[in-house]
Amino acid sequence: MGAIVSFLLPALTIYAAFTAYPVVRTLYNSLHQVRPARSDAYVGLGHYIGLWGDEFFWKAVANTLTWAATAPILEQALAILLALALYARIPGARFFRIVWFTPVLMSFVVVGIIWMWIFNYDWGVANSLLRGVGLDGWARSWLGDPRTALPALIFVTTWMWTGFNMVVLLAALHSLPSEVLEAAELDNCSWMKKLWFVIIPLIRPTILNLVVLSFVGKMKVFDLVWIMTKGGPLWSTETVSTYVYKRAFEWNTFDLGYPCAIASVWFFIVLAGVLLLSVLFRQRGKLEY
Amino acid sequence: MQRAAMLGKCIVFAAIAVIGFTAATAQAQTVLTLWSHWADHDSKRAFVEGAARAFEKANAGVSVKVSWYEKQALHAALKTALLAGQGPDIFYAEPNQTEYVENNLLYDLSKALNWNNIEPWAKLGWTYKGGVYGLPLEAWTVEMYYNKKMLSDLGFKLPASMQFTQAEFLDVVKKARASGITPISLGVGDRDFPGAFLTHEALLKKLGYDDYDKLLRGALSWSDPRVREALVFVKQLIDAQALPSSFSTLKLGESHFYFHTKPGSLMFLMGSFYPSRAFNPPDKGGQPPDFQLGLMHYPAVDKGACNNCKTITIGGSYVVNAASKNPELAGKFLNSMATPAMGNRWLEDVLVQTGIKADPSKITGPYAGYFRDLAQINDACKFYPERPVGVMTGKAKEVFAQVVNNAFPAGLLTVDQVIEKMNAAK
Repeated sequence: MGAIVSFLLPALTIYAAFTAYPVVRTLYNSLHQVRPARSDAYVGLGHYIGLWGDEFFWKAVANTLTWAATAPILEQALAILLALALYARIPGARFFRIVWFTPVLMSFVVVGIIWMWIFNYDWGVANSLLRGVGLDGWARSWLGDPRTALPALIFVTTWMWTGFNMVVLLAALHSLPSEVLEAAELDNCSWMKKLWFVIIPLIRPTILNLVVLSFVGKMKVFDLVWIMTKGGPLWSTETVSTYVYKRAFEWNTFDLGYPCAIASVWFFIVLAGVLLLSVLFRQRGKLEY
Repeated sequence: MQRAAMLGKCIVFAAIAVIGFTAATAQAQTVLTLWSHWADHDSKRAFVEGAARAFEKANAGVSVKVSWYEKQALHAALKTALLAGQGPDIFYAEPNQTEYVENNLLYDLSKALNWNNIEPWAKLGWTYKGGVYGLPLEAWTVEMYYNKKMLSDLGFKLPASMQFTQAEFLDVVKKARASGITPISLGVGDRDFPGAFLTHEALLKKLGYDDYDKLLRGALSWSDPRVREALVFVKQLIDAQALPSSFSTLKLGESHFYFHTKPGSLMFLMGSFYPSRAFNPPDKGGQPPDFQLGLMHYPAVDKGACNNCKTITIGGSYVVNAASKNPELAGKFLNSMATPAMGNRWLEDVLVQTGIKADPSKITGPYAGYFRDLAQINDACKFYPERPVGVMTGKAKEVFAQVVNNAFPAGLLTVDQVIEKMNAAK
């Protein structure tokens, strides 16, 4: 017993200090007004009630949910195509695998700066290409227009993370049982049918895990927004994370209670989202092969 | 016996040595800690480090330990450290951070500094609820810089008052745009305030000091007819494409380069911290050596209550932590920087204005002319001592930053929409 405790104690201590305590403290703060040099003032559900009528919060929620709902689908769809291309050993597969994976190795800061250049109205690559093919009217301030700012950011995260998903899916493809694929070929299965009825069901658990990871990542997205738009223009790219940061550190108030209330609500929404995805993607009948 | 005596002597000797060492280190270990922004501002770092070394030399047994940060990192570090009661003795702050005073975190410097050596507007900027809390090192005004050659080539001559009328200025903007020149360089890619210069200078001139102050503090409606007239003027400038097409993503540093080098704009509405970037060598982002820099006033608005009013902002300042163990010593250190000699040194080395009284006529060197021009243009000005984002807090500040700093000058909103959103945010 003593040995068990002594082995578990270091890990439990670290877990309690850096995971359990912050979570409990966040929940505690969300029920209080927390200010320095004063004792915490209990406000009950005041912050949560305030949240209900907070237009910025709901705008941030809408943007974040849009992002979390679209980006994982885009990433998975593109990643499957790229992984299949590599699986089929297209010419230059090795080269493309590295090129497509590279974006994920870059930090958000670097990615943000690169794409701010690309989206620059005057000399950015995006508008230069459009002008080059005679589509001058399509050139716009991609990050300065509320209609295009969020899609532009979603595009950047898709560009950044598709390579990661591709590598994981490629590993899953390589681990598929060859007998099943050969049997499908013997049955004269078309390429499309083989993909839809054989390959995708077999790699479904991998896809689920990637979707969940992507979903959670997008629900917490902060860095890229902060670097590229700071939530603007007109809150069109405000996410829950950037709003929490603004409320905690930029609204000229020391109170951490309200931001903690947002963080608490969001924690449960993310948790519910993950559970929902797990239920939706649950494999109803175990495949036998 | 002899051995025991020897051992005893050794112990006594060691004890004396330890006591002596402890006393010596105790004297040398009065350490003042200072957390400051400006990690990447060499001239400001050199100024502060120089002041710290001079203070150490004049005060034996005291050392000043400065930790340099980037601004955002500093604010985040301070907020957590102060909450935990572990902040430094002195730290960087700006007057708009009233939350520090509201939460009793600052030591009142009313009696610690020689305020005769501080500009009255700078003292006013740091005066809050009866106390004075900061040493205003850095200050800047909102200036309209222009390219003298370009203005002349367009066929315009600046009036003797150095101020165009509203109609004349609109004509300048339209003619510049018609000639393929961006009239005013400005961008909000990484800041929440430069885009608002265009609007808040018009509002300040139109309303005058007191009513403008009321507007910012929510005591005057944005539906006021004078506010609308000022916004309509700004909207005319925006519709005349006064600003760069890349306004929304153009960063502060890039907007400087845009003005003086590539592609070049006629004017640049910017803080008077302009020289800290532009007076560097061209290969470090500075303006070309033959660039003809001029200064003019923001245009006089029609029926303006105070067309010589101008925004001045107290920027980087130092405050003393109320929980410091050595608040008086910290105040003494700050006071060592509050002298006219240090004010002049700041101007010469940092090339930015200061809240410490200085004498620009005594400045020598290649930029002496610039500082004389700056002093001349500001001579008859009445200063409003803060930017709107410095006066506003919470929701009003957020809406102002999104609406007046960004969306309105970007041409995304009408005058009515601005009024509606700002009234809703009060």
